[in-house]
Amino acid sequence: MEVNEFINQNLIKMNLKSEDKESVIKEMIEIMAENEIITDKDEVIKKAMEREAKGTTGVGKGVAIPHVKSDAVKKPAVAFGRSKKGIDYGSMDEKPSYLFFLITVPEESHDEHLKLLAKLSRNLIHDDFRNSLLEAKDEEEVMSVLENI
Amino acid sequence: MKKIVAVTSCPTGIAHTYMASESLEEAGKKMDVQMKVETQGSVGVENELTDQDIKEADAVIIAADTNVSKDRFGGKYIVEVAVADAINDAEALINQALEGAESGKESEVDSNLYSQVSDEKSKRKEKRTGAYKHLMTGVSFMLPFVVAGGLSIALSFVFGINAAEQEGTLAAALMQIGGSSAFALMVPILAGYIAFSIADRPGIAPGMIGGMLASSIGAGFLGGIIAGFLAGYITQWLKKTIKLPENLQGLMPILILPFLASLIVGLLMIYLIGPPVEGIMNGLESWLQGMTDANAVLLGLILGAMMAFDMGGPVNKAAYTFSVGLLGSEIYGPMAAVMAAGMTPPLGLALATVLFKNRFTRQEIEAGKPAWFMGISFITEGAIPFAAADPIRVIPSIMTGSAITGALSMLFGVGLRAPHGGIFVLPIPNVVSNLGFYALAIIAGTIVTALMLRIVKPKLEE
Repeated sequence: MEVNEFINQNLIKMNLKSEDKESVIKEMIEIMAENEIITDKDEVIKKAMEREAKGTTGVGKGVAIPHVKSDAVKKPAVAFGRSKKGIDYGSMDEKPSYLFFLITVPEESHDEHLKLLAKLSRNLIHDDFRNSLLEAKDEEEVMSVLENI
Repeated sequence: MKKIVAVTSCPTGIAHTYMASESLEEAGKKMDVQMKVETQGSVGVENELTDQDIKEADAVIIAADTNVSKDRFGGKYIVEVAVADAINDAEALINQALEGAESGKESEVDSNLYSQVSDEKSKRKEKRTGAYKHLMTGVSFMLPFVVAGGLSIALSFVFGINAAEQEGTLAAALMQIGGSSAFALMVPILAGYIAFSIADRPGIAPGMIGGMLASSIGAGFLGGIIAGFLAGYITQWLKKTIKLPENLQGLMPILILPFLASLIVGLLMIYLIGPPVEGIMNGLESWLQGMTDANAVLLGLILGAMMAFDMGGPVNKAAYTFSVGLLGSEIYGPMAAVMAAGMTPPLGLALATVLFKNRFTRQEIEAGKPAWFMGISFITEGAIPFAAADPIRVIPSIMTGSAITGALSMLFGVGLRAPHGGIFVLPIPNVVSNLGFYALAIIAGTIVTALMLRIVKPKLEE
């Protein structure tokens, strides 16, 4: 199981256009839809918003990780987006978020997929990891940061 | 060096659980505190805290947005926060936990019997792995069919024991619902969902087809179990082995897997596995039907003791599955013995807490009241909190009571057509034969259990 089975350069957006929480979630889900990761965009948006209602996934430190587990997801995938300006995501630390990971998994997922996602999540805690994502110049560089987890 | 144990958990269990865990571990490293974090995420429980870990810990941190059971942390200082708090400021949490522990505070631990029982049940469910998990998945999907079928058949006897032979009558209709439909589905459902548990959705078709074959060639529930495992593992193997070009992959689940797996399972069942299992099944059935009293008592003793041994664990479920499977072969004695023996452990303990108060803690005496209800409902797990507190004395006591109940039930020739329900199914006409003797068997076991506890449990001080 490798990182590049979840994410590739097409799933990376270096400059998100959205300026608020709901539109950034939609913008990220749109990336998934374009890459045919999901079958039902509206369903995925609904699930993501439901999850946010239970508690924000803006975990602070400039990171947000909206995620969806649904039958409308074909395979486990991660989309990465970055906002230069920062977006008010209602984060725990009340600061704007710059790095966005949208994680989608089907209802029935293999443990190995979930374990890799867990590993990615663990890395987000580390300052170095976040900084190299913030400073990455292009999609290729983001991929190489992610591949080294 | 101070030690803290922690549990992290979040609703989806994909990201926060692990971020919180990492954050706590990192902070622990920085602050020179030994930290062990159990993650309860979508992969299940990882890095599970052992009893030893908890014993050694100075304090406990629970960072969760879901319900995390606190029972096992009795006597420890617990800091309970949202999962995000651990992600943001793990160091503050660790300080808070250590300060709390220093001040010698303990947190109240819920001693409610129902919550303990349901925690224990869900813990067991999580721990179920491998073949046992697959079998239990099959059994749990099969049970509703057994209930519906068993009770419909029993109802048909309201009109007289042979009433169903008259075509066109309501009794015949009930028999048709219960006997030739619900019971006919039992083994295919069992096999289908064992296979489902192993191979996911593609396992269902080959599993059910294999189960149907087991049924029709007379290999019964034993054949069904074998068919289910065969179908599951064969489907799984085919899934991994067959590599198709990307554009044909859509054909795998819809065409290739069901067809090939069903073909292989079907042929194996008919030519290789069916005949010997049919022989075993016939042998078992005729032995059970023609059993002497001595053998019946022996079987009852064994099944009864198994029911009490681990109160809902694998040994209990083995005895239970065996008896439920035999309902499909119209053998009802073991089912009666097993249900009665599963009722007496909580009942006996409840009785003992009333009669011999000086042998139980105040908490246990309180827990005795709901135990009555769990007993009559055939929830053997109701005995677990008592057994967990004093296994060496409690388990042999309840096993003795259950073994006696099982043996008596078999000796009296009691038959039961419903697989569950405790005393609540007994008033339905004909569900149980020899109701009076059945009650006697249950009461006898309850009293024996209570007396055993009186003998082996020492008086408590104060």
